[in-house]
Amino acid sequence: MRNKLFLAISFILMTVFAQAQDKFFTKSGKINFYSVAPLEDIEAKHKSAVAVLDTKNGTLQFSALIKGFEFENEEMQQHFNEDYMESDKFPKSEFKGQVVNNAAVNYQKPGTYPIQVKGALTIRGVTKEVQTPGTIKVDGDGVKAAATFNVQVADYNIKIPSLVKDKVAKTVKITVDTKLDPLN
Amino acid sequence: MKRIVLILLVIIILAVGWYAYRAYTGKVKSLTEVKTDVKINAKELIAAFEKDSAAANKQYLGKVMEVTGNVKSVEKEEGSATVSLGESGAMSSVRCSMDTTYVQEAANIQEGNSITVKGACTGFMSEELLGSDVILNRCIVVTGKK
Repeated sequence: MRNKLFLAISFILMTVFAQAQDKFFTKSGKINFYSVAPLEDIEAKHKSAVAVLDTKNGTLQFSALIKGFEFENEEMQQHFNEDYMESDKFPKSEFKGQVVNNAAVNYQKPGTYPIQVKGALTIRGVTKEVQTPGTIKVDGDGVKAAATFNVQVADYNIKIPSLVKDKVAKTVKITVDTKLDPLN
Repeated sequence: MKRIVLILLVIIILAVGWYAYRAYTGKVKSLTEVKTDVKINAKELIAAFEKDSAAANKQYLGKVMEVTGNVKSVEKEEGSATVSLGESGAMSSVRCSMDTTYVQEAANIQEGNSITVKGACTGFMSEELLGSDVILNRCIVVTGKK
């Protein structure tokens, strides 16, 4: 009886432990935003993105608060929040998706694995299906996940006043760079 | 001849001055130079967002606030640092992403101490598995420095 109980308990503990090892997360993911235009390059940095990766099925999601993007120039930061992103109305952007080729990633073996990420990207309240390349890096420190999104500004109903049309690029590059820790 | 040199010199000084002035005023100001909108403790701030995040967003989003609380953890990464304030053991906290100029200083913050952090409120993150956090950005330490 005692043996059986012991077995049962260790089995439960093992499943709990195994589950905890599957999921990785961060609350301080980095996101960079680049807009390259003839007149002016614009860059912004974010340091508090949340990301969760389930290594078992490849589910990947991350989210970031729009007001957390830091610009060098105060005026740009203001325009970004008030005119383009309306961050009071739409405070958060998120991506919910999948590592398409998750099976090709060996999370037990150190290395850099090229991945394809597919899912729903929500910006300014508009959700679009996107697919984009990225990498997963497994090393002694844990798991690092990175991806690059090329976002068409018009896809998300972001209106650019004609006055600054030449200043702002029609496509912006968003890079996500996360260092993930086991979730337990 | 001397006169021309002098005039040129004055023009150059004025140009450099103007450029420096523009560069300085155009930059996002450090929060040390910005007036505080709200003073609150971490527990109350978390409670406000957990109760009604839409209302709390309206009240606090984008505001510069001084938040006092218990240091739960200090996370350091290359070029960034995050200080979490709140009740130890609770799932929710106020996460303060430190200003790049304060990253070094963050290393001296002791867990368990009560400190006051000034930062710009960027909102509320609530994830099923990760708990919920109020996020402050570009933070500086007001009191509780070692």
